[in-house]
Amino acid sequence: MRPGRLVLGLAGLAGFVLLLEVIPRAGLVPSRYLPPAADIAVALAGELADAGFWAALRDTLSGWVIGLLIAAGAGVVLGLLIGAVPVLRALTASTVEFLRPIPSVALIPLVVVLYGASLQSKLVLVVYAAFWQMLVQVLHGVRDVDPVADETARAYGLGRAARITHVLWPTALPYVMTGLRLAAAVALILCVTGELVIGAPGLGARIAVAQTSGAVPDLYALIVVTGLLGVAINVGARAIERYALRWHQSVRGETVG
Amino acid sequence: MRRYLAVALSATVLTAVTACGGSPSEEPDTGTSGPRPVTVGVIPIVDVAPIYLGKEQGFFSSRGIDLELVTAQGGAAIVPGVLSGDFQFGFSNITSLMIAQTKNVPVRIVANGAASTGVPGKDFGGVAVAEGSPITGAAGLAGRKVAVNTLKNIGDTTVRESVRKAGGDPSTIEFVEIGFPDMPAALESGQVDAAWVVEPQLSAVKAAGGTVIASNFTDTAPDLTIAAYFAGTKLIAEDPELVKSFTEAINESLAYADAHPDEVRAVLSSYTKISEEVRAALILPKWPTDVNRTSLETLATLGTTDGIFGGTAPDLGKLLP
Repeated sequence: MRPGRLVLGLAGLAGFVLLLEVIPRAGLVPSRYLPPAADIAVALAGELADAGFWAALRDTLSGWVIGLLIAAGAGVVLGLLIGAVPVLRALTASTVEFLRPIPSVALIPLVVVLYGASLQSKLVLVVYAAFWQMLVQVLHGVRDVDPVADETARAYGLGRAARITHVLWPTALPYVMTGLRLAAAVALILCVTGELVIGAPGLGARIAVAQTSGAVPDLYALIVVTGLLGVAINVGARAIERYALRWHQSVRGETVG
Repeated sequence: MRRYLAVALSATVLTAVTACGGSPSEEPDTGTSGPRPVTVGVIPIVDVAPIYLGKEQGFFSSRGIDLELVTAQGGAAIVPGVLSGDFQFGFSNITSLMIAQTKNVPVRIVANGAASTGVPGKDFGGVAVAEGSPITGAAGLAGRKVAVNTLKNIGDTTVRESVRKAGGDPSTIEFVEIGFPDMPAALESGQVDAAWVVEPQLSAVKAAGGTVIASNFTDTAPDLTIAAYFAGTKLIAEDPELVKSFTEAINESLAYADAHPDEVRAVLSSYTKISEEVRAALILPKWPTDVNRTSLETLATLGTTDGIFGGTAPDLGKLLP
């Protein structure tokens, strides 16, 4: 099953690269604005040989990691707290629903005034976007606790801490992992967007420089890098998810009890 | 009451969340020993080549300035950066600084930035049309769709002046906001009839068969000052020594850049991705050390007529050094 999927995935990718090579060469799109895949590959090799590229990659990744950790930490703690206390849940529900759909990029003018073109600006955007992904998933997770299991735990005299560890957390964990996977992807997008629009150091800023310089193959090479980064992050997040939920039936693939 | 609490709670959460990531912005080192770290916000374009060259040549380090150049994506991020103290100095186009001045933003020019070459048809910016366009001169822009990078700024003000001087009616131009990098494609695909482009996109447009039909900078004023380096008035008041050293270093850099165009073309590779062919061929701006006051008065008058300063005229006395 898995090797087959891998082959199909690679074939799909090869087809896409071929299309990217043929379309500009056939003149369907002027190659000045969409260079053929071979030119992009050459530009990519040039980027990989440039120290500035690696510094930009490091800036992007550090912004992503820090932002994601803050968002995930805050999302889990507040999600468990709000989810477990009905009053808090009722108190925040409308506010969460009000704030959640505000696109993070709408905050750009605000963060530019506050922090200029810095790591902080990027972090505000990343944390704002990723936090809601986490929070909402954790809230769903807490809501999913089986009342019978909870009552049983109470009947057996389990205290609050024990119930959180043995009932609440295992129920919420699959949701937390889903939230983390979604947040990881969103955080990367916002990280690069912030760099691109504000000019905070990173791959996005490098894309912007390539764009203003009219270096189109470099532009696409860097976009390819961000795409690959997205794939890598998703694969990594899925691996973590599988490991953290190795006991869970969705991963074990068998029904328990 | 519930709503208030909820808002307060969310606000607390957000503040807590965002505060974690912030490290305090570095306070400028006021000690006299050792080189003084100075951060300048610039845009990654040809105009700022002298400061990169001057850094390479040691014009800043010889004055005890440890220069760090931070590229921001457009001037909109630089003025706030200077005000917040993230940058000690910034680079911006003149009209943007005038707009800031009319809004009482406490900034003042400390050195010249870049100027027009003053040669019609051979300037680093101009109004271009695509290959085969029926428009042959500035007067033909009346009633047409013209791209500028920012509406209500130096681009539309100077393009209007070109049309006015050519005997056309500037009030009928439809200005469209398109980023410089996207202008060659917008012209070629016919989204706009003409575009105000600067290097290196000007070279790209010409390479694609386009023609420059008006030199809006030279039409506006001879040797128009386009951009300048500025600082917050707080820094100027509190540390005149630093400002003086910076201005001297910039002036030396500007003069050096003007005298060594080949080195300018070479230094472009250090902070842009402009290809070697384009670097060799593009038209460089002029880098005089003096701000051309007369040209700024013209720009201020034109901008006031266009209504881009919101009803007030900029006070150049408060803006110029």
